[in-house]
Amino acid sequence: EDQSIHVRYRMEASCLELALEGERLCKVGDYRAGVSFFEAAIQVGTEDLQILSAIYSQLGNAYFHLHDYNKAMEFHRHDLTLTRTIGDHLGEAKASGNLGNTLKVLGRFDDAVVCCQRHLEISRDLHDRVGEARALYNFGNVFHAKGKSICWSGVDPGDFPEEAMTSLRRAAEYYEANLSIVKELGDRAAQGRTYGNLGNTHYLLGNFRNAVASHEQRLLIAKEFGDRSAERRAYCNLGNAYIFLGEFEVAAEHYKRTLQLARQLQDRAVEAQACYSLGNTYTLLQDYERAIDYHLKHLIIAQDLNDRIGEGRACWSLGNAYTALGNHDQAMHFAEKHLEISRETGDRSGELTARM
Amino acid sequence: EMPPASGPSKQMLHSEDIEMEPETMETKSVTDYFSKMPMGKLTSSG
Repeated sequence: EDQSIHVRYRMEASCLELALEGERLCKVGDYRAGVSFFEAAIQVGTEDLQILSAIYSQLGNAYFHLHDYNKAMEFHRHDLTLTRTIGDHLGEAKASGNLGNTLKVLGRFDDAVVCCQRHLEISRDLHDRVGEARALYNFGNVFHAKGKSICWSGVDPGDFPEEAMTSLRRAAEYYEANLSIVKELGDRAAQGRTYGNLGNTHYLLGNFRNAVASHEQRLLIAKEFGDRSAERRAYCNLGNAYIFLGEFEVAAEHYKRTLQLARQLQDRAVEAQACYSLGNTYTLLQDYERAIDYHLKHLIIAQDLNDRIGEGRACWSLGNAYTALGNHDQAMHFAEKHLEISRETGDRSGELTARM
Repeated sequence: EMPPASGPSKQMLHSEDIEMEPETMETKSVTDYFSKMPMGKLTSSG
């Protein structure tokens, strides 16, 4: 008997130690190492089902951050089954929320909605306002993603099929419902996130003035927190909205702030995107010299990042800008480069455009 | 029904790169649970 208690004690202690180390590693962002410790903890095993639930949940989240969504789904499912079995309602709400987020990323929107609904129901039953707000935010994200998935590329915001518009309108409703709670709770960080996504929803719905109003709020809150990534996102989204409002100079100013922040944050991919947006904006302003300057900057980064699609876009844009300036040699050079890249990347519409 | 063919001229105006806010994942902390656990639970359990 003593021996058995001793073995169990050693097992529990060892499982806990491994799980605590996994947790520490995930907190510092080393999800890969964190996963190894959590999986070792599961191998050792525990009879404490609350600890097992925490391990499953954190493993699911670690895989989510590693973009291994099938693995994330697997562990959040384990957590959901476990919490239901032991009648842990708060744990079940959390597992449902996490599983819903994962299913959304996997494009399984109807299944995600079921999870969001369960998260919302339990939170309301437990009078958990924070949980309720989070469930509403997740709901908004699912309908936003569903709407966006139906949006046709090449179609302007506001002109999407009715099914997409219906989903996007529902997303906006959920974001508004979330906002009324997080405002009441005084949770500024949550308000910031919701304003950002609400702004994007208004943008896709073609309500560009509302989009600007939401993104301005998002920007204000990002500044309050000194959150430069969120600030960068807000500037980029504001730039996009001002393009559709026809206010190209204002859009350019916002894209320039995006570019500055992307450089400060050393995010090369976003830096490239900001240069591309600026090149396009100056094309709209018919300032082709500046457009060429930014498209060349975009081209250099795309080449550095080995992004052939980005490179192709830059070449196409440069070809157009040089044509507008009457520099036909350079225009031909970039048109040929664009054709070559379109063939390589299998971009049929790009290839056809290049031939024209 | 296929979406209409899009050329780069349309892409120029249509930024598909809208920037979304991150998902909020729910957390369950072993540390929090462990710190709330009564002393000696491990040895006396079972």
